[in-house]
Order: sequence, then structure tokens, then C-alpha cells
Amino acid sequence: MSNRMNMQGNQACAMGAIAAGCRFYAGYPITPSSEVAETMARELPKVGGTFIQMEDEIASMAAVVGASMGGAKAMTATSGPGFSLKQENLGYASGAEIPCVIINVMRGGPSTGMPTRPAQGDIMQARWGTHGDHPIIVLAPASVAECYSETIRAFDLTERLRVPVIVLVDEVIGHLVETVDVGALTPPAEVSRKLASGPADGFEPYAVTQDMVPPFPRPGDGYRSHTTGLTHLPSGFPTQNPAKAKAALSRTTDKLLHHADLIESVEASACDDAEIVIATIGISARAAAQAVTDLRASGIRAGLFRPRTLWPFPEAALKAATANARAVLVPEMNQGQLVLEVERLLGLNRVHRLNKIDGEAITPAEIVAKAQEVLA
Amino acid sequence: MDNFEVRFSGSGGQGLILSAKFLAAALVAEGFDVAQSQSYEPVSRGGQSRADLVVSRGQAAFPLSTGLDYLLILHGVAAQSSGAVIGAKTLVMVDSELVPDPPKSDFTLLALPFTETARQLGNKRVANMVALSALVARSGMCPLDRIEEVIRTKTPPKFASLNLEAFAAGRELGTP
Repeated sequence: MSNRMNMQGNQACAMGAIAAGCRFYAGYPITPSSEVAETMARELPKVGGTFIQMEDEIASMAAVVGASMGGAKAMTATSGPGFSLKQENLGYASGAEIPCVIINVMRGGPSTGMPTRPAQGDIMQARWGTHGDHPIIVLAPASVAECYSETIRAFDLTERLRVPVIVLVDEVIGHLVETVDVGALTPPAEVSRKLASGPADGFEPYAVTQDMVPPFPRPGDGYRSHTTGLTHLPSGFPTQNPAKAKAALSRTTDKLLHHADLIESVEASACDDAEIVIATIGISARAAAQAVTDLRASGIRAGLFRPRTLWPFPEAALKAATANARAVLVPEMNQGQLVLEVERLLGLNRVHRLNKIDGEAITPAEIVAKAQEVLA
Repeated sequence: MDNFEVRFSGSGGQGLILSAKFLAAALVAEGFDVAQSQSYEPVSRGGQSRADLVVSRGQAAFPLSTGLDYLLILHGVAAQSSGAVIGAKTLVMVDSELVPDPPKSDFTLLALPFTETARQLGNKRVANMVALSALVARSGMCPLDRIEEVIRTKTPPKFASLNLEAFAAGRELGTP
């Protein structure tokens, strides 16, 4: 009982980050993510960390990338328009394989839009916002406790795989306060990036290793290193050689396939006998969970599929969860983004949409009504 | 009552979210799980503002309100904005001065002088604490000494005695 407290989603992201070892935060506050920065500003100095409010989001992301290249576990947080500004340097982090975590709390958009209202309009921006073919991991928490545990997982994945990780939260979950049993929260595993060791002579900062993740040369450890946004050789120096460029790019994306089991995380509940599976994330998944209970009470066998790791999308898990379903319903607070991925995997015939873009969350009753309509 | 929903609504700057936070802390101390959400406009004060509590034993599947048991309206700007989530079971309590045109239907409506009471205490800004205490006294959703304890421990020392006076006055207003 004494460990139970009310905690906000954004605050939980910040506390999860610190628990995971994050010691550097650079950001530019923006509703509805500002409480992440506020919490970091208050808490990071207590653990010897550094908080910097930068002049804008471009500089924030640059500072995060620089801090991580210096060896720190580093993070920033933002919302839609700020997320757009971070995309260029996010691409650099993807290409140069620099670990970093970005919390993006989604609000109504585009532009200033409805800054205090929820939306889920950055599902595709999170995957494809930066330029070029690039690896990225996107996690989508649906509760305050998950804001904490998924931010920890974000640090574990980014440090282990040297891939930027985005924690994609919607305004409702970011601002939601829930009762959390602090003692029952997932303890951090304290994962840190694999550091270069052994002889400094002949060291290659982008060496091709069995796990496809090059050991990181910590500044000061004596390894000669070159980092560039140009497509580079294992030596770190640029190449335009077609075969070598292809190999270099392929390794950064293939490493996600190689580590798929580590990355993937889904919740599939009541799907085995489901005639309709509801597939969604964030607050819409909370509505779907209640809708599944209500539908089952009315005699409709419904199930919930929730990709906790949104990107790379858990393709096989979705196919398995929907194997016996007549219909798949994708409720989301946008004009249809997640549904495009579901349609790509399952075809158009049995996939149905429920979209809401008025700044209000989708309710369980709306999902129930749509499910009944789809099955009628 | 194991599951219930509460809304504090009014104008931005009236301290609605703070009231909800205090009630949430008291309810958690009573063993409930609480989901607190809020809605506000992109202005520093004014505009519609609300804070909701979805109270349950164990975590609520859906953390947002769908059918209110208690609705507090402290400003006319929010008078008509909760129509979709109120019904016969809802107890609606409004500020008798600032909500001249309250919603009317088959629910119980109480108009009480929260703001006037606060003004008599010397600061109309504690109307939120008067209303919170009246709501708890009227509903019995948690023991009054629990809410008093939360107000005492979570209010900055400078305002503690004023908030506690507001608590006492609100308790009196709300007690049936």
C-alpha cells in the first residue's frame, strides 16, 4: 500500500529514463510533452545528470546526439511540430548508429493544431519522418506504468542495438495520472552499449560483427574513430563504392531483423476464438480493452491486438492473432495510418477502419457500435 | 461504491486540476485506483477546463469518464459541456453565483455558494477547496478527515490555514 502513488505518464517517462541510466537531456518544451522536460530538469541534477533547455528542437536533437557520442545515455522529448524539427538529426543518429531516445507525445495537428488535445497522427511520422532508408524502433505505451517500463526498454534497445528509439505516446496517456504500484514497476536491467575493447591498432568503428552491432569506441579509451553522416566503410570513412555502400546500409537495417525477438513486444488477448480482432495502440487500445469486455458480454467474441513495439511492425504476430477472425477493426485518432500497415498484411477484405480527428479520444461505446456494424 | 466517476469543471485558473489531484490522493490512500485526466484550452487562464477522476478497485480498462456520478461546475463557461456524460445517476453541484444557467434534466442539481463562501473567507480563489470539501461531504466518497489531511499536507504553508478554513466551510455547505 505504501508504494502506491499517483503518477503522470510524462513524469513516468522521465523517471523510467533516469532509472535506465539516462544522464543527459536536451529539449525545447512543447505541449503536451513539457512535463517530461520539467521532471528531467528537477530530477537529473540530483543524480549527477545534465539538463539543457536548448534554443530549439533542431539544436536539442543535435545536443542529444553529441552527448551520446560522448558516451552518455541521452534523451529528448517533444510533440508533432518539434518532432518534425528533430527529424534531420534523427536521420544522422540512424545513419551513424548513435543511441538515443525520443519521446513524442502526439497532439492534434498539423502545425500548432490542437496543442492540448490528443491525436495519434504521428504513427507514420515516427516510422518515416526522417529521410532515406533507415532503421528505427518505435514503442507505444498504453498506461502510465508502461510509460515507465517502455522508456526503460527504449534505452535498453537503443544502447544494445545502436538504433534510435522513439517512445510514441498520445496526449491522453502522456497527461494521464494513474495509480502506480512503484514497487511492482519493471526494474531496469541497466543495459549499456557494448564498448570497444582490445588492441587500438587497426580498430574499425563500424566493424561488421556477428550481432551486426559495432562496438562503440568510448572517447578517451584510445580508439581512433571517425563518425560521419556519409555512407561509410567499417573504418568509418566515406564510400561511394556500390557494393560497399549497399553492404553498409543493409547492415543497419538488417540488424533489426537479426534482433527481431529482442525488439518485438505485443499484447494479444482473447484473440484465439475471436470473430473480430481490434488492433490499435495507446489510449485507443484502452478503449478497445473495455470494448472487448463489453462485446463479449453481449455475445460477440472479440479480441485485442496491441503492438507495444509499433515499428518494426510485428507482422507474424498480427497474422497469428487474426488467423481465425472474420473481421479486423483498427480504431485510431487519425484519418488512417496504422490501418495501412494492417491492410498491407491482411488485405483489404476483412479490415475495417474507425477514425476520429476531433480532438476527443475514441470511446469503448464507439468501438462496440462499429464492431456490431462490421459483423452485422 | 467500488467504481465511480467525478468531474471538476469550470474556467481555466480556478484550481480544478488541483482539486482533482487532492481528491485523487485521498482516494488512493483509501485503497482505490484512480485515473485522472484533464482537458484545457491553449490559453494561460480562462477557457473551459476540466479534470476527471475514474475511480475503481484495480486499474480501470478505460481511464476516461463515460458516465459521471458526480459533476462539479464552478463556472458558467462549462455549464453545458458535460451533457454527453451525465444522466439520472449524476449528482450535479454548481456554483450558484457563477453558473446562472445550469444544465437541467432528471438528475439531482444542487446550487451552492462556493465562490461567495470563499470570498467571505478572504480569497475567492479557494472556491475550489470549498467545492471539493462540499462534494466529499455530500457524497461520502471518502472520509472527511482523509481529505482534510491531504489539504493540510499538500498545501504550501503560506496557504494552509486558508485552505483548511475553506475545507471547514465547504464541509458545512455540503453536509446534507
